[in-house]
Amino acid sequence: MTTTYRSVHQRQPRLEGAAKVTGGTVYTADLRLHRMVHAKALRAPYAHALIKRLDVSKARAYPGVVGVFTAADLPQHLPRDGANRLHTVLADKEVMYYGQPVAAVVADEASVAEEALDLIEVEYQELPAVLDILDALKQDAPPVRHSMAGIDRSELAAHTTLAAADEQTTEKTPPNVTHRMVWSRGDVERAFKEADVVVERSFRASWTHQGYIEPMSGIVDCDRNGDYTVWTSTQGDFTTREGLAKVLGVPETKVRVNFVEMGGGFGAKIQPFGAVLPAIIARILRRPVKYIFSRSEDLRSADPSSQAYIETKLAAKKDGAFTAFKARAVYDSGSFPGSPLMAGANLLGAYYKFPNLEIEGLEVITNRVSQGALRAPGTPQATFAIESTVDIMAKELGMDPLELRIKNAVTQGDLMPNGRAFSKIGLVEVLQRFKETSFWKNRNGKPSANGKKVGVGFAVGGWLGGGSPSSASVELNADGTVSVMVGANDVTGTNTSFAQIVSEALGLPIERINVKTGDTSLAPYAGVSAGSKTLRTVGLSVQRAAQDALDQMFKIVSERLECSSEDLESVDGQIRVKGSPEKAITFELLGTMSTGFGSPTPVILGRGNVGTPAAAPGFTIQGAKVEVDPETGEVNILDAVCVQDVGFAINPLSVEGQIQGGVAQSLGLGFSEEMVWDDKGVLRNPTLLDYRIPTALDLPRIETALVEVPVEGAGPYGAKGVGEPPIAAGAAALVNAVSDAVGARVYTLPATSERILAALGKLPG
Amino acid sequence: MAKQIFRLKVNGDNYEVFVEPNRCLHEVIRDEIGLTGTKEGCGTGDCGACTLWINGAPVTSCLMLVGEGEGAEVTTIEGLARDGELHPVQKAFIQHGALQCGFCIPGMIMSAAALLRDNPHPSELEIRQGIAGNLCRCTGYTKIVEAIEAVAAGSR
Ligand code: FES
Ligand code: FES
Repeated sequence: MTTTYRSVHQRQPRLEGAAKVTGGTVYTADLRLHRMVHAKALRAPYAHALIKRLDVSKARAYPGVVGVFTAADLPQHLPRDGANRLHTVLADKEVMYYGQPVAAVVADEASVAEEALDLIEVEYQELPAVLDILDALKQDAPPVRHSMAGIDRSELAAHTTLAAADEQTTEKTPPNVTHRMVWSRGDVERAFKEADVVVERSFRASWTHQGYIEPMSGIVDCDRNGDYTVWTSTQGDFTTREGLAKVLGVPETKVRVNFVEMGGGFGAKIQPFGAVLPAIIARILRRPVKYIFSRSEDLRSADPSSQAYIETKLAAKKDGAFTAFKARAVYDSGSFPGSPLMAGANLLGAYYKFPNLEIEGLEVITNRVSQGALRAPGTPQATFAIESTVDIMAKELGMDPLELRIKNAVTQGDLMPNGRAFSKIGLVEVLQRFKETSFWKNRNGKPSANGKKVGVGFAVGGWLGGGSPSSASVELNADGTVSVMVGANDVTGTNTSFAQIVSEALGLPIERINVKTGDTSLAPYAGVSAGSKTLRTVGLSVQRAAQDALDQMFKIVSERLECSSEDLESVDGQIRVKGSPEKAITFELLGTMSTGFGSPTPVILGRGNVGTPAAAPGFTIQGAKVEVDPETGEVNILDAVCVQDVGFAINPLSVEGQIQGGVAQSLGLGFSEEMVWDDKGVLRNPTLLDYRIPTALDLPRIETALVEVPVEGAGPYGAKGVGEPPIAAGAAALVNAVSDAVGARVYTLPATSERILAALGKLPG
Repeated sequence: MAKQIFRLKVNGDNYEVFVEPNRCLHEVIRDEIGLTGTKEGCGTGDCGACTLWINGAPVTSCLMLVGEGEGAEVTTIEGLARDGELHPVQKAFIQHGALQCGFCIPGMIMSAAALLRDNPHPSELEIRQGIAGNLCRCTGYTKIVEAIEAVAAGSR
């Protein structure tokens, strides 16, 4: 590309960086309000039980306690909907998962609320719990829960736009199967008969946690007018408003959500789980209520990522051409429906050209905490299955695993399992670029030492990218600076990138631009920051708003200088006539003109609003080089790389950082991260010591290579979503590397030492 | 539990707080003194978000009772910048894109700054060891390591 840019496509440090490095950035837990009280929840010790007796009288009488609430205290405030987790604020007669809130205590001090929890008396009658994903498929399994009506699937819709599947419900659907779909094309059985090689395997991926460092948190106040003010750790202020308004049964105008910085969400903070309980209590008490999850509560009972069981069957000809793919994917949704089944099942068969295909998808519920999104929800699980299968196929065929992938990789016009055709995508470009990475060039370096085995593996991953309508405003201030307002929660530096876009459009130095996320009563609407869509959707609105503001300025200047708007350009903070730079009007002067007392010039207020832009699937290939100790099963990651098609990198510094974070997370899913429950459904590792997210010592320097295959209209300058593709393939790459190292394969994520030793036959499987 | 008076010296300033003796140091610094840069990610010593210095040594303050802070020089992230000038580690974190959500960053910077003070030219392994107690979920640590290396190179 020969275009030169002044602001976009430049490595721009975060504009709000100084606050973040000095401890000045405000997160929800940092706020204190007058008359604020603290809420704590009593959580169920069983995975499935009936509440036979619930006595809170002693807790109510405890000094310092302001109130104690059970489901019985809430119905007058809640339109009930037992199938929706958000509406099931406190367990009502039935406990459906370990850690479900049963009662809440509110006190002047958090420690007092905590102490009073111990005084609540509950008598439970344990019920049979359904915990295993395959048990949940059984016709004679006990039901996980009672109410199943009015299932809310809005979270899935927030992530990706999928064609409706053929939904088939037969009378014989087992009680805990909540969704079944089949996608098919061609004749798979015939293709399997005619194939030269067929590989058939099954895989499991464990429950994992998003692992954000800031736990779920919320503060909600409700005044005498019934107006709510909310501060909460969320990915979406507007989705929080929508969710709370529904639960509270009030108009959205009554709920004002303020922007506060969020300490990580990764999909978990789409639904306002941290704000619902304090909102309901604030309504009763008319006082601000603060509710902060402890880490253990967060690990036990937030909304982690679901486990999956996936069977695959892949057919190929001797030359490596894939001829058929058949799969069955089962996703565990926990105790509430809404798993990422559709996204996962679709991507399972989306990376390669399969002339014949059949994918059956099933969602089951179990007596575990309800699942939520985790960065490209459903995709790491599916990618692990398909990319392990492809690696095995390469071995069977005696082909290079990279060449096999290049040969079969999808390109524009190829069909996804859901029947939709890919638009312009960059998968083949990404695979070619992989060969130029340092990772690839050094893959054979460093031989095995002290009995340890070194191996290299890689895997393809992708994410289709979500989308939603958005809007933004760009306003010229009296001093010639520019204020940009958006409604999108800045999670990974989007406001800095928006400033770059405005700077580029206006020809104004970035220092003179301030981007703010407004509260929901003032800001132009934006959807939730999820689905890798914030920059590409809201960024388009910002770009249009800047252009609108510029057009308004050009109009004023053209009248003043008596020239046509076409003859004008905006450079370095002034609007001037092309070719005669001395004929110019500065932003300062325009600012004064458009705000001055008695001035006839209108305020410069640019507006941008767009619907969901064109889809922009982003693909990656990720590689891992590992050293495995065959005696202990211990894995040491030596090298890691991610090549990704980002369309156009508005801010390569942020893009690289976000990719590196995604890679780190996906490697964690590959070797250490797993929520471990006992056979009663009690979480055994509810601490960050035992739920092991990677530390700096666990990871190598992560190499990134950006490929840019821009898609017109998909995002500003053709930018694609960045956040989700990098989590898709790391776990699969790591497992492929382990297999390359030790010659044995792990079929369950994560590939822990125990599982590696079991694969080597040194431990029982 | 009956409240007591505790005397703390934080970032050179003296404070008297009246709290229960079982309160953790980070809580008191956040809630009573109002310095909220020190974060809580776990409260059990596993994440490092609450890292601050006690007499210059980085500690996870969620594992300390308020009384253990008495008589010590406590330094928090708010006390790292001097005379309005950011600490070189703070500057490098911004410049090298070593921050995203920022929640781990105060603790991370306190660990990194202590490391560089004691070992101005650490190897990559020493850097990784120095911040191994600080979990970051956003960055994958690569840019954090690069930022710390840049400070080390700059002081050569
Ligand atoms: S909050 Fe102290 S180590 Fe996590
Ligand atoms: S920047 Fe988010 S946890 Fe480190």
